[in-house]
Amino acid sequence: MRKALLTAKEIVKTYPGAQEPVLNRINVEIHDGDFTVIMGPSGAGKSTLLYALSGMDTISSGQVLYKGKELGTLSEKKMAKLRASEFGFVFQQTHLVSNLTLFENVAVAGFLEKGKSEQDVRNRAEELLKRMNVEKAKNRLPAEASGGEAQRAAIARAMINRPGLLFADEPTGALNRKNSEEVLELLTALNRDGQSILMVTHDVKAAIRGTRILYLEDGKILDEMPLPPFDVKTAKEREEKVNAWLTALSW
Amino acid sequence: MEIKILLKSNLKSHRGTVLGVFALILLVFLSLGAVLTVWNNSSRYVDSEMNRLGYGDITAWVSGLQDTTPLAEEVSALDEVESVGVQSLIFSEYEIGDQESDSEGQLITYDPGHYPYKFFTEDLSGYQAAPAEIAPGEVYVSASMVSMFGIQIGDTITFPIARSGGDVIFTVAGFYEDPFMGSSMIGMKGFLICEQDHEEIAGVIEESGVDNLAREGFMLHISKVSGSTLTAAQFNAFLNENTSLTSYVEFTHSKDAIAGFMLTLQNVFTSLLLAFVVILLLASMAVLSHSIGSTIEQDYTNMGILKTMGFTSGKLRVIQLLQYLIITLCGMGLGLLLSILAAGFICRMTVTTTGLLIPSALPIGICLLALAVILLLLMGFVWLRTGKIHRISPVSAIRGTWKKSQESKKAAFPIQKKCLSFWLAMRQLLSGKRRYIGACLVAVLLVFFASLIGRVNAWLGPNGEGLMDAFNPADLHIAAQPMGETTIEQVEQTIESYTSITDSYDLAMPSVSVNGVDMTANVITEPERFHLLSEQTCRNSNEVVLTEFVAADLGVSVGDTVTVVGALGSGEYVVSGIYQCANDMGMNIGMNREGYDLIGEESPTMWCTHYFLADPSLQPEIMQALQNTYGGDVYLHENSWPGLAGILSAMQLLMIFLYAMVILFVLVVTLLTAGKLLRAEQKDLSIYRTLGFSAGRLRRSFALRFGVIALLGSILGTILSAFLTDPLVAVLMRIEGISNFSSQPGIFIVVLPGIVVIVLFFLFAYLAAGRIGKASPALLAEE
Repeated sequence: MRKALLTAKEIVKTYPGAQEPVLNRINVEIHDGDFTVIMGPSGAGKSTLLYALSGMDTISSGQVLYKGKELGTLSEKKMAKLRASEFGFVFQQTHLVSNLTLFENVAVAGFLEKGKSEQDVRNRAEELLKRMNVEKAKNRLPAEASGGEAQRAAIARAMINRPGLLFADEPTGALNRKNSEEVLELLTALNRDGQSILMVTHDVKAAIRGTRILYLEDGKILDEMPLPPFDVKTAKEREEKVNAWLTALSW
Repeated sequence: MEIKILLKSNLKSHRGTVLGVFALILLVFLSLGAVLTVWNNSSRYVDSEMNRLGYGDITAWVSGLQDTTPLAEEVSALDEVESVGVQSLIFSEYEIGDQESDSEGQLITYDPGHYPYKFFTEDLSGYQAAPAEIAPGEVYVSASMVSMFGIQIGDTITFPIARSGGDVIFTVAGFYEDPFMGSSMIGMKGFLICEQDHEEIAGVIEESGVDNLAREGFMLHISKVSGSTLTAAQFNAFLNENTSLTSYVEFTHSKDAIAGFMLTLQNVFTSLLLAFVVILLLASMAVLSHSIGSTIEQDYTNMGILKTMGFTSGKLRVIQLLQYLIITLCGMGLGLLLSILAAGFICRMTVTTTGLLIPSALPIGICLLALAVILLLLMGFVWLRTGKIHRISPVSAIRGTWKKSQESKKAAFPIQKKCLSFWLAMRQLLSGKRRYIGACLVAVLLVFFASLIGRVNAWLGPNGEGLMDAFNPADLHIAAQPMGETTIEQVEQTIESYTSITDSYDLAMPSVSVNGVDMTANVITEPERFHLLSEQTCRNSNEVVLTEFVAADLGVSVGDTVTVVGALGSGEYVVSGIYQCANDMGMNIGMNREGYDLIGEESPTMWCTHYFLADPSLQPEIMQALQNTYGGDVYLHENSWPGLAGILSAMQLLMIFLYAMVILFVLVVTLLTAGKLLRAEQKDLSIYRTLGFSAGRLRRSFALRFGVIALLGSILGTILSAFLTDPLVAVLMRIEGISNFSSQPGIFIVVLPGIVVIVLFFLFAYLAAGRIGKASPALLAEE
């Protein structure tokens, strides 16, 4: 049996004043080493689920457990510590701190991790930025970098503390095709190296990078589709297969 | 209509700014209204009361004559004299409980027909009907004696009229308002008694012969004819030249000098407060400037859109102007209204130090003038600051490129792992410097003024030593002046039974006239002891030293010659130097004993011997012992006077007020600035939280920025105060006759205001940043 990294039990999320819950008794397990993708139509609750599972947003009822620890019971300080050491986030908008350079955006997140020297963090940041191919732009402020550079730096930042789980919310949503491909390639490579990823997307081309796709609609997981690790040679068939599955789900 | 709609929406969407600016303007006008009321009303009131009571342009205290009629007629006959009013009195020392008077009291015969004094109610909150007559054995005293001696109705005051049982005891029946010598700043005090008591005391004086300690006298209130061009000094000289006044006069004071004495406290403190109000106004302008800048930044997109709809830059500026006009007018109006209450409170609180119940009615004309001037100044400032609206480009606003251009400003400051919060705070600060300029300026101004007051307070000393040093011509620990059979040797024996005397000198204060103007001469046996400010002391018998005020008044300087007239004759004296003595508002001269002997007559009782003690801490015990042993036979002085209590308590009140205002101002400024920063940085703060920064850490880092800004402001403010306090306060002190002010505060006094301001900024910023913990990082998903 595969190890569950993150477990959601009967989670419900209702926004104040809303009649219907946006997440309705969801039960799901995110496994270690998986590249899990959440898909669904607009308004299905994809991002809400992602933020609920990451502890960034509160839930109305239910439980979210990360490595057996219930997030809802953690103090604000412990939750911050968990985010620093175990979670990495990549957003649709890059959300880099505006007055820090790309390098500093990455390094600052690393500085939060105790037990690592400053030099170690700097070396790792350099290494990640090199790997993400933003070495040349590392001393630019986010406003001076291109969208692709900024998003790749955001991924480097998310990876600085070797997180247990990388959350990605539409990471290619604001990028052109070339930059999207580069970012997806990076995520795939990270997963190949063992990084667990949970990604929300409505883009099939992004979804096929996953090893498991969850389909969410009206606040419920209607179905899921397991996939073998991504191989660029089989990308076309994989896309067709996912499209067929989605069509069957009235996508 | 569209302006009205936008105005309403602006006021609603910038509630924080509206409230902040409103609060600052309110505080400024609350202070300004109160200060202007006290300042304007007190001077007007003293003047009107002196006129109502019929005091003249010059008052001469005379003695040695039974009937004043011939002298009054002689003076009245002069062309320059309009009228002469006479009040009969008895000069006498007095004791209240175990406290001996420092200056002579004047038992004034109550004459409501000619001098209709006002009488206070028991709680000093208002007036009661004046008594038709005062009962024998009863006395009415100035309300300032409450602060000077802690006196209450029913207490007794002893007047040693003659030796060997010649004491006369009066019971305090109430308090009257004395606009002439009622202030605690004035040593001599008037006591209203009935004519019968006056006659009885006069009888005791006559009977006791050489044993008398008191003497009869009169106040001659001499008024100039209207339209006279003579100054007070010229009028005084004119009277001395043309009448026999000098034969009887003990001392004279002009109406202006008396008003100056009466208003010392109000003038000094209202001047300080007025300066503080100016500081608050400047601080408000700094905040206003920041507020306008950040509001325009915040509304950049909206303004861009409005421009695409056809709104001109001018119209958008008018909306901003109207917005601040409304806020400012509301703050000013409410501030002035509240200042009526504040002024009333201050006026009631100061009755026991000023001796006057200063009217608390708002001086409408002055306040409206101040309002109009400040309103014009502020609106002009707003108009200038909103000029950047012209630079808003609709395209740039809609595309958001203006934001990018602002964000891409480099800030070279390395972020380090150690003290990460601090380095992040520094980065935020340096990359958004403009946003903190307002807070920094406020810190500079507040620290500067708090330091200034702290330095004045330090100069004053816990027991008012600084002020006493300014008033005394030379230093002393104890001074004794035997008046009867007691010899100075006996006094010294008593002192030395406690501690040895390390040094001593003699000082006398006879009246002389200098170039025709009456003033006191400080005659000293050791002229080296004078508090010399410049050039040489008067070592030779033909030399005198002058205060800066006398030199200015007489138009002479060092090296010039003045004519000094004493009881025996006159002489020409060379001004050898300028010295410091604020007695009589600086209207005195210093000369050595040999110099005085050329024109004046020495008497054994005129000399007051000033002692320096090996152990100055024993001074209170020695004073008590001398008083118990020799009673009224020896006049005792120390480096203090009862009026000091009033000054010290007023200083304490000022410090409390000042720090209360500093707290309020820092609170408003921090909340205003922090609110805008938190809104502007909401996204960055959420990003930090997703990275694993705790809300507490972000709050500390946020507060640290304000701490750093306040530190910078405090350093600048402290440096400014170090350079500017002495010259600025010296200007103020000159009003009161203190020509030389030099503060030498300890390190604690120097750094305290800065520390307070830094702590306040940090604390309030930390509190304001509480909302960081409430904001969910999930808002990043909503973008």
